[in-house]
Amino acid sequence: MNTDQPGAATDKAADRVTGGPATQPMGIRQALREIRKGIVVMWWSFFDWLAAISWKALLLVSFLSLLLAGILRHPTPVFFLIIVSIIIKVIAGGKRRAERIATEATKRAETEQLGRTVLEARMEALQAQIEPHFLFNTLASIDQLIQTDPPRASRMQQSLIRYLRSAMPQMRESRRPSLGQQLDLCGAFLEIMAVRMEGRLQPVVSVPEGLRSAVFPSMMLQTLVENAIKHGLEPKPEGGRLEIGAEVVDGQLLVHVIDTGVGFMPKAEGGVGLANVRERLKVLYNGRAELIITVPPAGGTCATIKVPYEIAPA
Amino acid sequence: MHPVSAPTAVVADDERLMREQIIASLKEAWPELLVVAEASNGHEAVAMVQDLEPDIVFLDISMPGLNGIQAAQALAGRAHVVFVTAHDQYAISAFEHGAVDYLLKPAEAARVALTCQRLRERLKQAPDPMNDLLAQLSQRLGGGVKPREYMRWVQASVGANIRMIPTSDILFFRAEDKYTRVQTQGFEALIRKPIKELIDELDPNEFWQIHRATVVRVDAVEQVSRNFRGKQVVHVKGSTEKLEVSRTFNHLFKQM
Repeated sequence: MNTDQPGAATDKAADRVTGGPATQPMGIRQALREIRKGIVVMWWSFFDWLAAISWKALLLVSFLSLLLAGILRHPTPVFFLIIVSIIIKVIAGGKRRAERIATEATKRAETEQLGRTVLEARMEALQAQIEPHFLFNTLASIDQLIQTDPPRASRMQQSLIRYLRSAMPQMRESRRPSLGQQLDLCGAFLEIMAVRMEGRLQPVVSVPEGLRSAVFPSMMLQTLVENAIKHGLEPKPEGGRLEIGAEVVDGQLLVHVIDTGVGFMPKAEGGVGLANVRERLKVLYNGRAELIITVPPAGGTCATIKVPYEIAPA
Repeated sequence: MHPVSAPTAVVADDERLMREQIIASLKEAWPELLVVAEASNGHEAVAMVQDLEPDIVFLDISMPGLNGIQAAQALAGRAHVVFVTAHDQYAISAFEHGAVDYLLKPAEAARVALTCQRLRERLKQAPDPMNDLLAQLSQRLGGGVKPREYMRWVQASVGANIRMIPTSDILFFRAEDKYTRVQTQGFEALIRKPIKELIDELDPNEFWQIHRATVVRVDAVEQVSRNFRGKQVVHVKGSTEKLEVSRTFNHLFKQM
């Protein structure tokens, strides 16, 4: 630690002492106050220094001071000072060191937390990429509807605007997202896809109103919904149903995306999307959340995200 | 040139609005062209072209059943092909180098007009089956022959459901009587597939067999120690179970 701290403090105090009375005779009281302040600073600096230096260094300094005092023929006060120092170091040193270790640990924990936050932000940005395929196909559909069914074109464009507002990373709000927000985003996406795929996509959202305020990470539900359409329903010529549901079981919030599509291929690469959801859950919840994929008895795929149930601050 | 009969076309896209858009823009650019049928997937497109023998077929690349490239391969030069796509970077670069024409969605009037003009020229010749180009494209888009695929998910019944466990979550497999136990950090499940069959389907870079009855995921191995009998024992992250290495597999954990 800083062993030159006491020196600096002394200099500062000395400045004040010389500067104080020279200014005005009226300011003697003020000068005294300054001196007292200086002494307090000096004392704590001395205390810090005592706590920080090693026993070896303290003994060496004591020995040298004793020698110096001996030469000046006044060893007794120095001897007392040394005894007091040793007592202070024994009593207060441990506490002071513990404080320092605690401060360092806090700093390390903060750095770690920061690292996690940065990692999560990067992964979220990755997850949030809007598929160019989706965007261009939707714009082409709107273009066609402008010719044939302008009111419908307008509705579809509004859905697209709502979707982009929440799906673009720079548009996203920084506070903790709620399940309700995520459902609105998916709702806009599903409205667009239902217009495009017509009878081949039958979306059903059955989430109890009370669960909309639960905390739920951003863009994960969207990834599950996009996957269900892209890998489940779109490859199936006749299409099928897509259902979003949510429930609370034993203090855990379970959000399901169930489709009646072609089903999961054991050899298919899991896709960047699902791997990303899994990684983000690990970083965000440290093992208290998971992504579960099951095959319902009737076929298709059921993807469930399980996170601790918390209410989002309003 | 005598127009014997009006040129005909089939338009294939899985989304009706997309088909309508293409048909509308074709009507503008080439009023004589007769769209004789619309297909909503690759199989339908192939069947319609075989049935109706149109001069031209417009094929969307991403369609259920057969995708556009596979449909073109199946047609093997029965009609002039124009691919339609919203955004396929690979495909577009391939088209630009080949003799194939393509349209980007949403189709712009000027671009459609250019395509129609080229098609009028091309109709004088027989359609090119484009074998090499299509083979190359199909491989790029993931429809062709792929390197060997390994198991990425294990299907295991947990209660009444079948659960898909990603291989990256699995710590190890262990033979137990008639079953194989799949162990992850949070739970275990039983599957019927024996270790002997599993090992053939798992990626050898991801999983190692260390015993007749045990397969471990390499990334999950924390350390290898020796037990009191001098046998190697594998410790796995996230599990207290210790896995014995049989002598046949000792070479896997040699010191470097």
